[in-house]
Amino acid sequence: MTTTIDPTNSPYVSETSVSVEIETEGMTLNIGPQHPSTHGVLRLVAKVDGEQIFNVEPVIGYMHRGYEKLAEVRTYPQITTLVNRIDWVSGFCNEIPFIAATEKLMEVEVPERAQYIRLILTEMARIASHFVFNGAYPLEIGALTPLFYAMEDRERVLDLIESVTGGRFHPNFNRIGGVKPAAGAGPTTKKDIQDLPAGFYKETRDAMKTILLACDKFEDLVGGNEVFIARTKGIGVLPQEIAIAYGVSGPILRASGVKFDLRTTTDYLPYKDFNYDIPIGKNGDCFDRWFVRLQEIRESAKIVLQAIDSVPSGPLQAKVPKIIKVPAGECYVRAENPKGEMGYHLISEGGLGPYRLKIRTASFSNISVLPWILEGVLIPDLLAIMGSFDFVLGDVDR
Amino acid sequence: MNHSDSNSIIENLSSIFTKTSYNHETLKIYIEKDEWVETATKLKDEYGFVFFSWLSAVDWENDVSVGDPPKEHIDPSFEILCCLSDVSDGNFVILSTKIEKTNPIVASLTEVFPGSNWHEREAYEMFGISFQGHPNLIKLYLPDGFEGNPLLKSYELLTREVKPWPGEVDVEPMPEPDISPESEK
Repeated sequence: MTTTIDPTNSPYVSETSVSVEIETEGMTLNIGPQHPSTHGVLRLVAKVDGEQIFNVEPVIGYMHRGYEKLAEVRTYPQITTLVNRIDWVSGFCNEIPFIAATEKLMEVEVPERAQYIRLILTEMARIASHFVFNGAYPLEIGALTPLFYAMEDRERVLDLIESVTGGRFHPNFNRIGGVKPAAGAGPTTKKDIQDLPAGFYKETRDAMKTILLACDKFEDLVGGNEVFIARTKGIGVLPQEIAIAYGVSGPILRASGVKFDLRTTTDYLPYKDFNYDIPIGKNGDCFDRWFVRLQEIRESAKIVLQAIDSVPSGPLQAKVPKIIKVPAGECYVRAENPKGEMGYHLISEGGLGPYRLKIRTASFSNISVLPWILEGVLIPDLLAIMGSFDFVLGDVDR
Repeated sequence: MNHSDSNSIIENLSSIFTKTSYNHETLKIYIEKDEWVETATKLKDEYGFVFFSWLSAVDWENDVSVGDPPKEHIDPSFEILCCLSDVSDGNFVILSTKIEKTNPIVASLTEVFPGSNWHEREAYEMFGISFQGHPNLIKLYLPDGFEGNPLLKSYELLTREVKPWPGEVDVEPMPEPDISPESEK
């Protein structure tokens, strides 16, 4: 193959160099499955010509745990434990659409207080997930410092989640019909029950204020960094039509300029009670994907601040039978998770467990666009683009 | 969600397609196997369902080796499901078609929605369904030498075979109701 490098077009070649023709030979570069930039065990088989990639084929399945099959031999309450492990960076969010699907088939009305607690913890999990991205992404393109700040701020949120649920990553906190009470608090149907730990509202308020300040810090530290801008602006542009056709959802879709957020269009949690913006990007490049997520942290913190001021009182759980049997039927419930659209298509035949549970995860569809977007990019940009997709292999492989 | 809008779209689709169902806020359109690609294209171009959400299948079978069988006797078949969504109002629709188990072939949607590529590969390895016109129909998750289609109802779950559940240790016996004459006093 012959490559012509024209210094006037390429930002990577200084103007002092001359235009040369180089004979290069195509080769296959195997990236992963054990590579730090692949967030786990993703393998990319890249055909490269010099520094340029002309074909890339992701190989997945190294973490396939067969949840859809396992769900068929488990009861509904047991599945809640399973689905926590799909996207382990935001375990709490995975429970919500599954529980909502079950409640929909059982026609259970969830008490408002339980819905508010779910909403607060979902937004906290979103903040935690986006902070992981905010720390890991600059690290991938060479900036070590933001990671330490991000982990510190993420810990504030994880501490709050832990104080309510008892778990940092896998809360397993939702019950069909409501949420679990705090440990040792007694039956869930009593009115005055200790569900949130003492001082939770105050600590949450303090933490959210610190997080809002941290967002400003990040915008300055990362977004104002010239190296970061050079590595991300205009890199990995994902046009709207491509994103939609591939089923790319969540912050990546919004970074491409599509104002679509399932929190506002569906009512799986009472988001309509709060004021918040849906941040969108203009160019759909790596920088926009980073910036949209940073702004989403701010919006989530705003939602949490509003929600803790208006948590209604009342029971934590609706009346459900002790042994949960879901009436025959099917439904699809989806939710806006930190990574994008997550949904469960539940088919029940009236038994103790589902007949079939299809799990739609965001990262799976999101990274299916990688072969398209990585065509023709340079190897250093591959790492920048992959990092900006913020996928979790548990969410890809299920 | 703007309920009047979503209702009108649902009514509209219900009147156009002969067989639809709307339960638990899930709109399903039942079509024949031959109309698979045509209907998906129509929904995309004319009704704004441009977002490819997911595609999968269901193995309808009376004899199951895992889980519970269906309540009533059914004709064994594969049901292919495809979920399409819009990107403005949050409406979604699930396309459904049934195909025979003896000849599990359906046309591929990759020409209409490139995103269906991986979903079809998954359905291919998990159920053994062939997608006609798919550019690269190979296994996605499973290793190359893997035999069988794990999501079939006839496929046994090895761990449950080796160690049946509930195990003896897991389950305490239920307390017997006390019916001795002393307790009645």
